[in-house]
Formats: sequence, structure tokens, C-alpha cells
Amino acid sequence: MKRRILDIICCPVCKGKFMLTEMEGNDTEIMEGLLTCTACKRVYPISSGIANLLPEDQR
Amino acid sequence: MDIDTSQIYFPAEDTYLLIKAARTEVKQEDRVLEIGTGSGAVAKSVAEITPAVLAVEINPHAAQYAREVNGIEVIRGDLFDPVCGEFDLILFNAPYLPTDPAERFDDWLEYALDGGPSGRDVVERFLREAPSRLATFGRILLLISSLTGMNEILKLCHAQGFIALVTAEERQEDGETLYVLRISRDLCSLCGT
Repeated sequence: MKRRILDIICCPVCKGKFMLTEMEGNDTEIMEGLLTCTACKRVYPISSGIANLLPEDQR
Repeated sequence: MDIDTSQIYFPAEDTYLLIKAARTEVKQEDRVLEIGTGSGAVAKSVAEITPAVLAVEINPHAAQYAREVNGIEVIRGDLFDPVCGEFDLILFNAPYLPTDPAERFDDWLEYALDGGPSGRDVVERFLREAPSRLATFGRILLLISSLTGMNEILKLCHAQGFIALVTAEERQEDGETLYVLRISRDLCSLCGT
């Protein structure tokens, strides 16, 4: 996931903004990490460079 | 995850028609969003013209393929649910086939094809949610089929305050016609004139 898209993606449930927890990445991309909604606190994984922004019961 | 290519919708006539229309429409400075990118063929073609292309895909096999093979910036999600930005060009090769619940296969490929009993279920939701993500002078290119019901689609566009024009069409050997609709806000209606 490119860093620059962080401000155009949001929590699919409440539309809240994300806080990024990065585990692996480089200058432009996050390969592994977590996106935590700053509003509802739901957590979404970033795995192999793809953020999974489906609600937990649809993953 | 290993990619199961049998679960991916690969480019077909509809894909090529949308690519042709999108390459004509896109401008270098456009912020582009493709909903349901599948293998990523349309997004890849558009990314040759503008760098700002984001794709959304619900199917994990297709999302991974789009990223790894076609180099697409893709997130997994359902239509506009995970997106909060504003876009100048939104592309959607909709699942437009009328499908009875009894005909469903219930696999990932189904998401690329199944438009519900009328063929319009997903298009309807797309058109309802699109206005909040479309820039004031933004455009949508929506691929549908004669099977989806053109008049009903135009009514849905109108109900959302959109103007829709056919910008590309192609008749198939089996009699079905594919259409690309170019949809934009009816700016006159917005200012009440």
C-alpha cells in the first residue's frame, strides 16, 4: 500500500481516519502493518502490500 | 496466499471497450478510482496516462493479481466503503448480468458478474454512493449491457442528479450490446436553473 493513499482511505464501517502501525515497508510503500480506525478502533490488516478494508465478518 | 486464477475475471470484450473509453476520457491530472478492478487491466491502461490511480477490489485473488502482475495500487473493499477521497474520474465495469439467487455459484468470481435478479443491484448501489466521491466536475465511466436495462439505468442516473450519455458501444455476436455510459453531475439542476 502506497503511503500517499493513507489520506484517501477510511474505515468502511464508520468512515473514520486511520492510524498506521507499520511492521514492514520502504520509502513509498507499507508491506505489512495495521490500520486502526481512530474513531471506532476497528483494526484492518495490511498484508503483502494490500490493505484489507472489509469489515471483519466479510474477510 | 496463492492466487487461484480460476477465481479471477480476465479481460473480455467489456474490458476492452471500457479501456478504449477510459483512455479517451482520462486526463493527465485526473485522480482516478476504479471500482472492482478485477485483474487490473483497465487501471493499468489508465495508469499509463495519469499516475494517480487507486483501485478497489473485493476478491482477494483478483486484488493480489492486480498488484503483483499489473502493478496496480489496490485495496480490498466493497465499492466505495473504504474510500473517502474525491475523484475526477471513476471507472466501473459493473457486475451487470441478471442472476437468479438459485443460479449463484457463491464463489469469488460471482462478484464480477452477478447483478442480482434485475442485473442492476450493484449498479444501483454504485450510483447512490458515487456522488459523495465524485469531484464537482468529475466524470464516471460505467460499463453496462443491454441485458441490464438501459432505460432503468438512465432513470437511476437521473435520480442521483446525473446526466448520462453513451460514449462507446459495441454489439456482440449473440445480440447483446455493451455500453459505456459517461456520467457527470447535472450542474444546471444543482444551481436551480
